[in-house]
Amino acid sequence: MFERFTREARDVVVLAQEVAREVGARSVDARHVLLCLVESRGPARNGLESVGIAVAAFAERLRNEVAQGGLDAGALASVGIDLDAVRARADAVFGEGALDQAGGRRRSGHLPFSPDAKKVLELALREAIRLHVNRIDSAMLLLGVLRSTGSPAESVLRSALAECGSSVADLRTALEKPAAEAS
Amino acid sequence: MSDTWLLAAGDDPHEGLRAVRAVRELADRLEYLQVERARGLGWSWQEVADALGVTKQAVHKKYGRRI
Repeated sequence: MFERFTREARDVVVLAQEVAREVGARSVDARHVLLCLVESRGPARNGLESVGIAVAAFAERLRNEVAQGGLDAGALASVGIDLDAVRARADAVFGEGALDQAGGRRRSGHLPFSPDAKKVLELALREAIRLHVNRIDSAMLLLGVLRSTGSPAESVLRSALAECGSSVADLRTALEKPAAEAS
Repeated sequence: MSDTWLLAAGDDPHEGLRAVRAVRELADRLEYLQVERARGLGWSWQEVADALGVTKQAVHKKYGRRI
């Protein structure tokens, strides 16, 4: 599958692995991929900027979110659990950083892709086929994120779009257009 | 707080399932930390198992090699 990826898209996937490892995640999930897309320099970032996303701020927000050590603060808040409060209490009882480290030892070597990250790669391939483009670049990967409806990565991207007065449809158009012209 | 639970229980399945997964991950980590601490304080595997409402075999199988 990766032989059809552009150099930049491969770099995004490799960097997503590094980010996941840095934050002690057990697998590379779609949010790690999204973060690396936002921090990349190619068509994905251009698309985000063209619809008015402040990429630096968005990248920072994603970094904070993935730095929760694999714990999903947003989802926990939705059921009334304050992760920061739980973490502070756990740190006091079990030692600094205990809760984040309890997710598993930091792994060296290859981290597996989570089902939602695999789905994004698969959907990127499908988008490329649909748009008749030969190469999977970062724009196709971002379209894959947009198609992974309901994944944590897709929801955070969707809310960032809504916050800047844009929409999924706008971003899709911005990403599809250059791809279609280039092919 | 009960209102947010109701929302998560009846709303969009995507969000509801994501919340379930997040709660499970948090519970797993807290269980690990608590079991480790209890063992450190001299609790037997049987006492830990009783407190968790599982069999001694289950708790030993899950943590015996890690703690």
